Amino acid sequence: MLAVGKYLNRIHGHSPSKMVGDVRGVAAPNFDLATLDGHRVKLSDYRGKAVLLNFWATWCSPCKVEMPWFVELQKKYGSDGLVILGIAMDDSDAPKIAQFASEMGVNYPVLLGTDKVSEQYGNVEFLPTSFYIDREGKIIGKGTGLLGRGEIEDNVRKALASPVAGMKQAQTPTTTPRAQTAAQ
Amino acid sequence: MTRAWPTLALAVLLVGLAFAQGPGEKLPTVDFAPVGKVQAKAGAPVNVELDFRIGSEFHINSNKPHSELLIPTTLKLSATAPVTLVGVKYPAGQDMSFPFAPDEKLSVYSGDFAITATVKAPAKARNGEYPVAGELHFQACDRSACYPPRSIPVKFSVTVANK
Repeated sequence: MLAVGKYLNRIHGHSPSKMVGDVRGVAAPNFDLATLDGHRVKLSDYRGKAVLLNFWATWCSPCKVEMPWFVELQKKYGSDGLVILGIAMDDSDAPKIAQFASEMGVNYPVLLGTDKVSEQYGNVEFLPTSFYIDREGKIIGKGTGLLGRGEIEDNVRKALASPVAGMKQAQTPTTTPRAQTAAQ
Repeated sequence: MTRAWPTLALAVLLVGLAFAQGPGEKLPTVDFAPVGKVQAKAGAPVNVELDFRIGSEFHINSNKPHSELLIPTTLKLSATAPVTLVGVKYPAGQDMSFPFAPDEKLSVYSGDFAITATVKAPAKARNGEYPVAGELHFQACDRSACYPPRSIPVKFSVTVANK
């Protein structure tokens, strides 16, 4: 059982949020989360890449609609520098989440969500919620609730289009993430 | 006057669309209606109807959702001795489709629904008022987003009379 349950029950108390309103241009808070197979992943591992950070849960039906789109986008734009990170806000244990992700054909890292990461991202009150982070680590967009595939892809393209400070656009990643994908 | 109705209806529709709820603009609510006096004859079971109202534009999973991944609505109650909880009967869910999965039917509650709790006091129970308390656990969604599972308190009292 993860520690998310406390968050899930407390969230309606609206504890103070560090990120409210328009978060575009804000530096994406770094985090250190466990993958489904016990590795640790930091957002900073992906500096230089465009990141789609998707908060979801196995009990969230709209989240299931987006996941095949994310799989396609990861295939389509992965070589351009896109990294999709799924943050599971479940009370379920990792094997159950992993089974679900495997059944959905998820080809990107799935991380186990915590209270802290939710708070860092402004208290994620409902799912799905996605943040689009550019190559410099700045949030360029936020999607709340189920969006259309086209809107998601537009945001991904904007994130990919951003140049890394001091470097030319479309540079190769500077780090090698250690995350394991859920499908592995 | 009759001619005004289409115009009025269109205006209402436009206003409605303008104020259509987006995710997170309103949090889901489930309210528990206070229970009136529950009287039980010692030795005989009594059914207590517990009424709930779900906020408009939201739904919650029924007690028997069609997927084991979905979180069912459950009621957990503890009765004060000598009163005991005999059983809980949930209403059937409505099979509904939503824009996020138009080809899928989900078993949900929306609007008002009632759960029946059956309580009983033994034949030799003393007269008195005995509280029953617990919580309703549910997980709500609207047309495009889902909200974390929550619980709300549920309580009522059973007045036991031997005669």
